[in-house]
Amino acid sequence: MKLRVLSAAILVLTVAGVCISALQTTRSVRDGVFTEDQRKRGAELVAQRCAACHGADLNGGEEAPALYGANFMANWNGLTVGDLAERIRISMPPTDPDINNAQQRADMISVILSVNGYPSGTKDLESRTELLKQIKIEPRQ
Amino acid sequence: MSRKLYRSVPVLLIFVIAGIGYLTMGLSGQTGSAGYIPNVKNGDWIAVTGDNTGARYSPLSQITAENFNKLEVAWRFKTDNLGTKPEFKLEGTPLVIRGMMYATAGTRRDVVALRADTGELVWVHTEFEGQRAVNSPRQLSGRGLSYWTDGREERIIYVTTGYKMIELDAKTGNRIPAFGKDGYLDLKVGLVTGSGQQIDLESGEAGLHSAPLVLKDSIVVGVAFKEGMTVKTHNNTKGQARAFDVRTGKLLWAFNTIPQGREFGAETWENGTAAVNGNTGIWTQITADEELGLVYLPVETPSSDFYGGHRPGNNLFAESLVAVDAKTGQRKWHYQIVHHPVWDHDLSSAPLIADVTIDGRPRKIVALPTKQSYLFVFDRATGEPIWKIDESPVPQSDVPGEKTSPTQPIPSKPPAYARTFVKVPDDIIDFTAELRAQGMTNLERVKWANSPYVPYVVGNDRILGALNIGNTAGGTNWPGAAYDPELKMFFSQAGNSSLTLGTLRTPPEGFSDIRYVSGREGTEFRVSEGPGYGSAADYPEPPRGGAPAGPAAATGPRGGGRGAAPAAAPNAAPAGNPLQVDGLSLVKPPYGVVSAIDLAKGELKWIVPHGDTPDVVRNHPKVGPVLADYLKKNNLPSTGQGGSVGVVVTKTLVIAGDPAVTTTPDHPRGAMLRAYDKMTGKLVGAVFMPAPQSGNPMTYSVNGRQYIVVAISGGNYSGEYIAFRLPASELPPTAAGRP
Repeated sequence: MKLRVLSAAILVLTVAGVCISALQTTRSVRDGVFTEDQRKRGAELVAQRCAACHGADLNGGEEAPALYGANFMANWNGLTVGDLAERIRISMPPTDPDINNAQQRADMISVILSVNGYPSGTKDLESRTELLKQIKIEPRQ
Repeated sequence: MSRKLYRSVPVLLIFVIAGIGYLTMGLSGQTGSAGYIPNVKNGDWIAVTGDNTGARYSPLSQITAENFNKLEVAWRFKTDNLGTKPEFKLEGTPLVIRGMMYATAGTRRDVVALRADTGELVWVHTEFEGQRAVNSPRQLSGRGLSYWTDGREERIIYVTTGYKMIELDAKTGNRIPAFGKDGYLDLKVGLVTGSGQQIDLESGEAGLHSAPLVLKDSIVVGVAFKEGMTVKTHNNTKGQARAFDVRTGKLLWAFNTIPQGREFGAETWENGTAAVNGNTGIWTQITADEELGLVYLPVETPSSDFYGGHRPGNNLFAESLVAVDAKTGQRKWHYQIVHHPVWDHDLSSAPLIADVTIDGRPRKIVALPTKQSYLFVFDRATGEPIWKIDESPVPQSDVPGEKTSPTQPIPSKPPAYARTFVKVPDDIIDFTAELRAQGMTNLERVKWANSPYVPYVVGNDRILGALNIGNTAGGTNWPGAAYDPELKMFFSQAGNSSLTLGTLRTPPEGFSDIRYVSGREGTEFRVSEGPGYGSAADYPEPPRGGAPAGPAAATGPRGGGRGAAPAAAPNAAPAGNPLQVDGLSLVKPPYGVVSAIDLAKGELKWIVPHGDTPDVVRNHPKVGPVLADYLKKNNLPSTGQGGSVGVVVTKTLVIAGDPAVTTTPDHPRGAMLRAYDKMTGKLVGAVFMPAPQSGNPMTYSVNGRQYIVVAISGGNYSGEYIAFRLPASELPPTAAGRP
């Protein structure tokens, strides 16, 4: 009896795990992975910490690439939101990469996704890198 | 106030000792170190450009069209832990001498010695420069280093982020105490502003990405300054080329790129303005003809890049190729490529030294690749153009106070090897009629002319700017081009879509003594610092909760980190950029090319697109469905990619990596290192790289095996030197490396 319960539990957990895993690995920036409120929070941060080099409209400049359109997709298509978060964590802004915490990075990424035309949704973009790595960056449909 | 700079790294002693032993074993099977003079013909790569001729040519022939696709990764050297943080813009070209590789790397610009066959770290040299590096206008790891030997001693020479020249013992990585002061020269000593005011040694504006030229027993070095878009004064540091004794560091000569007093050319700065203007550096590779005893200096733009109202006249030797005597620094000849420069055309590329029979006459020539994608060709002894160069009328500026030159030199031969201007309407995007129409509509708010020299405008909401191509990014930028001394052919990759929207504005009150800087009236003012600024390893983190530290805090409107004036929050729809049409380039493909010129005839031999079709084009809803037909109709294998990347030329191949990553049916996300047939431009091979080429490829041979090494980085991929070679199974039975 105990064995049966244990087996059933393992089966349920396995199925649940597979489902969660499948859900996670199929997420895309097309799926509304951030909220409008989050974008607004992020916009303030972007204005303070990114715009000096990337431009107020993220159009890029001599020292930094545009963060939308062809330039953005050339660098990030096929990678994940987690990869983008890591790049920011390691090196952005160059003068003070330690200034942002994970939540702030996620908020700023929501702005980048928004200017690239990806839709907002009903749930905030999470801040943990390992979860962000489950969200693929791909072209708009 | 300098502090003790050099810190030995005890743990590396083991490597050092191992390295000494390794070198003395005669790694490449050639003669021992005594008396050995390295040579590209022996499989070495002794200067950033291969050798002092700028050629980037090696006669190695093991890697061919037939086996290029079989190349495998031999080793990788990740540079993340050199400096305080990873670098995403690794641009170095390593040197290899008798099996030992030397390269700059990391955000602190360390020098590393690696076994060229395995990539194993043998030694690393680090300079801790503190604020001096933070102040530098040229940060990150730089583009390479230099090598000197007398057949007995071997030295590595490089310029630090903080603009000091260091000599290292190639065997140990230790400084050479007899050189300068304890192994270094403070290159800021002798640099001036105004009419001779020494710059501050800590905060004074000077730096350099390129490697010095080692010419027999002297070292010739240039200087670079801050980016010239939004400078605070036109009276910044003045450019010089200088030569130093390789053994002692003693100054041998200096050449002023802005003539001082009664020096030749001073009158080209009208109203005595030579005394109140600066910049005009030499930031790219210098080359030389050792036999003629001439050094060829490619000089850049004066301050500021896009407005010259405070420096009327042609402004010699700005954007000029200057030949000077290697022993004295005396000018022998010069040729100004752009008069009164106001487009940032800089002389960006190493001049190429070539001996070619032209019209039945043996000629010693120097060929200069440019951002404009014109190849200027001269008799290198006299400066006489090999083919006529016409002074052609060009459009004139209407910016108040600006007086552009009525003519500019346009070579009659050879033809341009990429776009020199945007020809309207022929060059405008044409995947579909709708996109063409959109492109033409975009041009209604842009000043354009069928000329490489469209004057900048004071931009506002009606006229957004002037359309040029290649100025700033090239055409051919710092990676330069290559020359094959056997085929007498020139090869270059060139950007064919690097558009600029030239617009000026008045700076905010008190920001600058220049009447106009980059920007558009009615928009937020932004200070442009240039790529890599703020990324040096020593850049201080601001105290938490306080104002930002470092120079960013002092730059007024820019501000850098927190404390910057909040800009308008970005909206979902960015302001219209007339250089893009529905997210695509305003110009039609090819976006980037590789070209070949027969220098004996002055003719374009072939030109092909370089790089896969970018994802954004292939996946574009309006272009994707018509792309295959479009490419077929235009006889293009792909659209190619924009950007300037370098090439290396071997016995049979021209090799260059993609400037951008793509994800295609043929390969996962990544970039390809491509090989072209030298005679036809046919793509004969390609191998996968995980990131775009960001430095120049080079090639060498160790133990009978040919390697290709290239710096890759960009996007999420931090700097890495990646080495390719053929697997042992592909080597001929006689190859020494075959097991």
